[in-house]
This record gives sequence, C-alpha cells and structure tokens, in this order.
Amino acid sequence: MIPNPNPTMFIMLTLGVSAFISIMLLPALLELKKPRDAGPKPINDLALSPHLGKIEIPLIDIEKSYEKEETVSIKPIINLIAFLPNLEV
Amino acid sequence: MMTELLEALFLLLMAIIATYIIRHYIFTLTAIKNAKNPNLRRNDGSSHIKVSILIPARNEEKVIERILQRMTQLTYPKNEMQVIVINDASTDRTGEIADKFAKNYDYIRVLHRNVEDGGGKGKTSALNTGLKLVDGEIVFCFDADYYPQRDIIENLSKEFNDPKVGAVQGRVIVLNEPYSIVTRLIALERTGGYRVDQEARDILGLVTQYGGTVGGIRRSLLEQLGGWDESVLAEDTELTMRVYLAGYKIRYVNEAECYEEAVENWKAYRKQRYRWAKGHMQCAFKHWLNVIKSDKLSVKQKIDTLLLLNVYFMPVLVLLSWITGIVLFLFSSTQWMSTVWTLAPFSVYSFIGNFAPFYEVGVGAQLDGRTRAQWLISLLVFAFLYNIPICTKALVDLLFSKIKRKNDNHWTKTDHSGNGNTYITI
Repeated sequence: MIPNPNPTMFIMLTLGVSAFISIMLLPALLELKKPRDAGPKPINDLALSPHLGKIEIPLIDIEKSYEKEETVSIKPIINLIAFLPNLEV
Repeated sequence: MMTELLEALFLLLMAIIATYIIRHYIFTLTAIKNAKNPNLRRNDGSSHIKVSILIPARNEEKVIERILQRMTQLTYPKNEMQVIVINDASTDRTGEIADKFAKNYDYIRVLHRNVEDGGGKGKTSALNTGLKLVDGEIVFCFDADYYPQRDIIENLSKEFNDPKVGAVQGRVIVLNEPYSIVTRLIALERTGGYRVDQEARDILGLVTQYGGTVGGIRRSLLEQLGGWDESVLAEDTELTMRVYLAGYKIRYVNEAECYEEAVENWKAYRKQRYRWAKGHMQCAFKHWLNVIKSDKLSVKQKIDTLLLLNVYFMPVLVLLSWITGIVLFLFSSTQWMSTVWTLAPFSVYSFIGNFAPFYEVGVGAQLDGRTRAQWLISLLVFAFLYNIPICTKALVDLLFSKIKRKNDNHWTKTDHSGNGNTYITI
C-alpha cells in the first residue's frame, strides 16, 4: 500500500526527520567541538592499599588546542567581513 | 501468502529485538539499584594463594614495557606470583624487552615461540603453551596493552574463597579515550558493557562473561576443561560457556580496574569486531544445544546465555527487520502493519547502542560521574551501522566455512600504537 505522494507531506517529513537528526546529534557535535569531558576514569589504585598513592593521568588541555584551531579558522572570515560596509551610525 | 509470511517474520524479529531491550532495561535498573547500595566485596588480605599471570605478546614493543613495569609494581607478594610472557614469534623488540625484565626480576619468565615451534598462531595457542609452565593455583591473563591497578590480583583472587567460583573478571577502562572518535565511542560501549551489563549479570546470578583478559581462572578447572579452545576466535566466551556448563560460576569485580588501549581507527575497529563477531557466532553454534540441555544452569541462566551467545546476530537481524518492514510498508494491505512499522525505528533506536544500548551506556556514564561523555551517545548509531556489514560478513563467512567444512579462522592481531602511554606516568 504505497501512500499517495503529497508535496506538503513530503516537505513535512523531510523537515521532521532533519530536525530529529539535528537535535539528536547536536550534543555530540558540541562535545566534539569543545570537549569538556574529563577523560578516562582514573583506575582506583587505593582499593586495598591507600598508602601507595594514585597514579597521575595528565590530561591534554583539549580546549586550548581547539582555541588555536578556532583562531585560525576565524581569520579568513574576519578578513571577508572587513570589506563589508560599516552599518553602525 | 508471501505477505503473511513476511508479516510473521517481521513480528518475530520485533519480538527478538524487544526481548533484548527488556533484558538491558533489567540490567540498567539493577545497576542503578545497586549503585545506591553497593555490595563491595573487600579482601581482608588474610590469605594469598599462588597465582600465575600469562601475558601473550606478538609484536608489542610499544606497550610490553608498560605492562611489565606494572607487574613489578603490583602489591601482591612477589613470592606468590609468577609472570609468564609468551613472546609469540614477534619480529620486533618484544622478546628483547621482556628478557630485560626477566633478567632483573626472578618471578618474570619469558617463553619464546618461533614460527617453527608453532608460534604466531594467535593468542589462544600462545596461552595454551604458557599454561604448561604455570605453577600457580589461579591463572590470570592480561593482554600486553593493558595496565591494571596495583592491587588487582588481591581484588580478583579473593573471589576464589568460594569453591563454586571457577573464574573472575575485572573491569576494563579505555585508557586512550581522548585519542579519537573511535576510542571515545569504544569507551562508552565499555562503560555500558562493564559498569552496567556485567555488574547486573553478576548481581542477578546470570552468566557473567569472562573477557579473556583482566580475569583469572582456577588452574585445576582450566586443565580439567582441556585449556583454551584454539578452534574458535572468541576463546573467552567459549571458556565462559564451558565454565558454566561444568557447574562453576564466574564473578565480576567492578572494583578491579584495568586500563586497555582501544583500537584508534575504523579499520582496526572493523578487524577486531569481525573477529569478535565470528568467534561469538562460532560459540553460539557450538554451545546453544549444550546450554539448553544443561542441568547445571537455571532457566534464567539458560535464557541469558542464549541471548548472550546470539548478541552478534542482532545487527544482522535488525537489518533484516528494516528490509522486511520497508517491504511490508510498501506492499502490505494490512493497516496495523503501518503502525507497527512506525514503531520499529524507535525500538531499534533503543537497541542501537549494539552490545550496550543507549540507556545502558548513559546510566553507566552517569554512575561513573561522566555526565559530559553522555553527550556523545548519539554517535553510537554510527558504530552500530558499521557493525551491520561487519557482523553480516562474519555470519556469511562462517556459514561458508561450515558448508565447505573448512576451519579458516585466522587470528588477526590487534595492533597497539602505545599512544595510551602518554596518559600514564610509569
């Protein structure tokens, strides 16, 4: 039973599916762009031997590395915008 | 007639998917409940039994030093511990590095296997060779890319005070998680799989899975079972089955933690998952009837075991349900089928985290305090989609090898880059 093709229905369906996918993936894209996760869970060395001390996991400062990338990617946009007329009074 | 058959097939597939969803909801709720009242089984440290640790290694020069260094840092009494490195026909410096440790620490021993001696046939073969040198009561296994907590042997071996415990399994945590999207997704899967799935199975008295690494087994039981089965690619799941069928149980110890280095790209992921999928399917074909007939397993254990054995068929079945659903949607005249079809994607979405569904991963991350990692959960859909062709190929290859009566199960080693080293101060 093939439903009758209806342009409005088709557009609504496409928009609905696109919106659903965007909303679903948005948090992941945000986290990938600016990771704020603390990294791997530290293994618990102290379960039985508290006197031995924990291992240290130096985490990469991912945000700083992303900041650099952002600066690089934003520069061409700034150059483009510079040619536009100033609308401020 | 054809439509009715397709409808019946579609409903059957939906029922199977729903069964898995319910199973994992039960696991998730159990883990949440247990988190409020954790039943920590602490070791009083009163008794130490002799243990042997097997480390199979083939071309692991980038990581072998890390784990051997860690072995020397373990808190377990060294006079009660034996470490055996099985250098499995390595062509790099693995043997040389291991020999250096063996020279300095008398409890570390290196067994060199050349191709002429049967080396290079894979992990299972290497483990069986190493087993001949074992003199401990408990045999632990660690892969070369692993890095355990210092008191892991105490944490795991305490479980053997119960004579019905045949094996133990600790928790695996991905060390190189920040490295790539693949490692981050694997870390999420691991969180759901261990923190929720394994723990819930242990609490509920179901079938806890021995993972082949970060775990131990009684030597007497292992010898009684004839060692590891070299004819299957998932030797860990296969051993799990035989331990339970022999009337023993496996305990999962969530507090016994160990880092692993996860595969870092999709190609390596595909190779590893193909091996796991094919191996799991081999176990399913080998043991499903033994499980049903067993008088050592309870009914709930039998159901859980069958679901566990068949988990790698699920991506194939989900694909089949999608195809069937679309065909029925287009050609079925039954009104209710359209309604069912619209529900299908939601059911599948719920299951789509594959071996650890979305909600299970989410709860696992929550229990670990990793709320930000939860933001990546939706990306697991891509991992699942990638598993569909992998598992389908594994099934087709396995069926062909069965038809041809030829066991062409070549072990493909997972390469380790040593990138995890940067996250650890040795």
